[in-house]
Amino acid sequence: MPPDPAPALHLTGIGRRFGALHAVRDVTLTVAAGERRAVLGPNGAGKTTLFNLVCGDIPPTEGRIAFFGADITHLPPHRRTRLGIGRTYQTSLLFNGLSVLDNLYLAVRGGRPGRFSVRRPGRGDPDLARARALAERMRLAHVAERPVADLSHGQRRQLEVGMALACDPKVLMLDEPAAGLSPGDRPELLALLKGLPRSLTLVLVEHDMDVALPASDVVTVMKDGAIAVEAPPDRIGSDPVVQAIYLGGGH
Amino acid sequence: MSARLSLLALALLVLAPALLGLVLPPNQAQFWTANILGRALVYGIVALSLTFLATYGGFVSLAQMTLAGIAGYALAILVEGAVPGIVGGLPYAAAVPAALLAATLAGLLVGAIAVRTRDIYLLMITLALAMGVARFAESNIDWFNGYEGIRNVVGPVLFGVPFRDPHLFYYVALAAAAALYAGVLYLVRTPFGLVLQGIRDNPRRVAALGYDVSLHRIAAFGVAGFIAGCGGVLTTIYNIGISPGSIGLGASVNILIISVIGGLGHPAGAFVGSLIFAVFDTFAASLYDRDRFNTLIGLVFLGIVLASPDGIVGLARRLGGLRRPSRAGEQPAPRPAETG
Ligand SMILES: Nc1ncnc2c1ncn2[C@@H]1O[C@H](COP(=O)(O)OP(=O)(O)O)[C@@H](O)[C@H]1O
Ligand SMILES: [Mg+2]
Repeated sequence: MPPDPAPALHLTGIGRRFGALHAVRDVTLTVAAGERRAVLGPNGAGKTTLFNLVCGDIPPTEGRIAFFGADITHLPPHRRTRLGIGRTYQTSLLFNGLSVLDNLYLAVRGGRPGRFSVRRPGRGDPDLARARALAERMRLAHVAERPVADLSHGQRRQLEVGMALACDPKVLMLDEPAAGLSPGDRPELLALLKGLPRSLTLVLVEHDMDVALPASDVVTVMKDGAIAVEAPPDRIGSDPVVQAIYLGGGH
Repeated sequence: MSARLSLLALALLVLAPALLGLVLPPNQAQFWTANILGRALVYGIVALSLTFLATYGGFVSLAQMTLAGIAGYALAILVEGAVPGIVGGLPYAAAVPAALLAATLAGLLVGAIAVRTRDIYLLMITLALAMGVARFAESNIDWFNGYEGIRNVVGPVLFGVPFRDPHLFYYVALAAAAALYAGVLYLVRTPFGLVLQGIRDNPRRVAALGYDVSLHRIAAFGVAGFIAGCGGVLTTIYNIGISPGSIGLGASVNILIISVIGGLGHPAGAFVGSLIFAVFDTFAASLYDRDRFNTLIGLVFLGIVLASPDGIVGLARRLGGLRRPSRAGEQPAPRPAETG
């Protein structure tokens, strides 16, 4: 057997309390490089909190997080971004007063040295070129000069993914990318997710099984802050614990 | 405001003294050139420092007249010919850069002190700083000559013409205003300016992308300090000196009124508001008695804020927007019905 390369993400006994509430408890999770992992669970199960712990938005109260073998438990969020963890937010955090291209450009430059600059980018500026390529890839080229406030909900979601990809992440974490999308927009999103290269590891929180299951290799189901089930997508529908969560006590 | 409109306004302002000379007797044309347009420009520069912060950073600061005053006092303290001579002896070529440096450093300091505050708290902290500086100037005799202030700051002689010459003063003020306005429009398209606008829209995301929010905020206040300093040097020469009254509560609030009348949503609002303010300030006194000026400008202020929260510039934009379907410089939206 070839030596096992370090997993993209390795969470050991990770937990987070908010006062008396144990929002995430003793989660141990390994996501291999290149894997597609879906995280499911009812509202309040702790999925977003788990994301925030991995991305460094909030510190864990217990446990450790390793990224390709390196301990990142105490790194600030932008350092994790530069290491290669990109994320989107469940509620959009975009710059509404700026254009689509400017949003992408800021995301691209955030990962580069010389972030503080008062020199206007020239025509051949590589960061600007990269922002344009991202707009193209996210199918937003036709609205690139528009202010973000003018975008449709689906376009905002696409821009979110584009901004998360801007720093060339090794791991991309998407928090409910399909939330609020019209049924017509979902296939477009799924196509976009399936088109991502296999060099990228994908962690996906999603309510909508129609998006989550086809996009994933392994599914983790959370309930009350802990992992309840870990199984391949084709077995999730018939799993008795999952059925109990989604049909029984969960709702 | 589009680049074409800005250039049109600039051309009009360049020709203004000549145009005024055609329709008004010489002494009145001169009065309009220096005391309405010239004054509107120099106070407009101070207000520009506020509209820059407000439009692109979302920061409303009440300390901008104070920063202008710091430049004015630095100039008055250092320059030759000022009465009383505090330090004195420096030519304008040395005293003006020193004054601009002082205002820029003071701007950085205000930015650093206020770095964690927003909205009403930022307003209060900058107001407190402004009042503190004005009180200090009023009570300190050795450096600021107390209540009386420092007089006889007349400006240099340029090309053999004294600075107080209405046309020379007007064109220097116009050149400074145009350069600073263009500089602001350039700066906001640089990475620094884009990050600043990102901070306005979503500071948490800016930090998550890896930018140093505090550094950018403090730098923005430093830039605003430099702009206010340019205004302060020119207003001090316009007033032939500086006293605590020119940086007091009234003066600070006037800059806010100018900016709100013109509109906090675009840097051009500073000059539009300043012109309206100068006209009212000059002519309301002759229509009414002096005391009623505050009532009148207060009513104008209220009327504009109620009718158009983003001021005259915002109103003009919306009127323009009604005629044109899309914004200036933007591609019109694709129309799918074209084929039918
Ligand atoms: N910053 C916070 N402070 C206090 N409680 C929080 C905070 N963030 C999340 N929670 C709580 O933690 C639990 C898990 O929330 P969340 O991770 O958002 O769930 P999910 O994303 O699975 O719907 C919820 O009960 C929520 O109210
Ligand atoms: Mg959530």
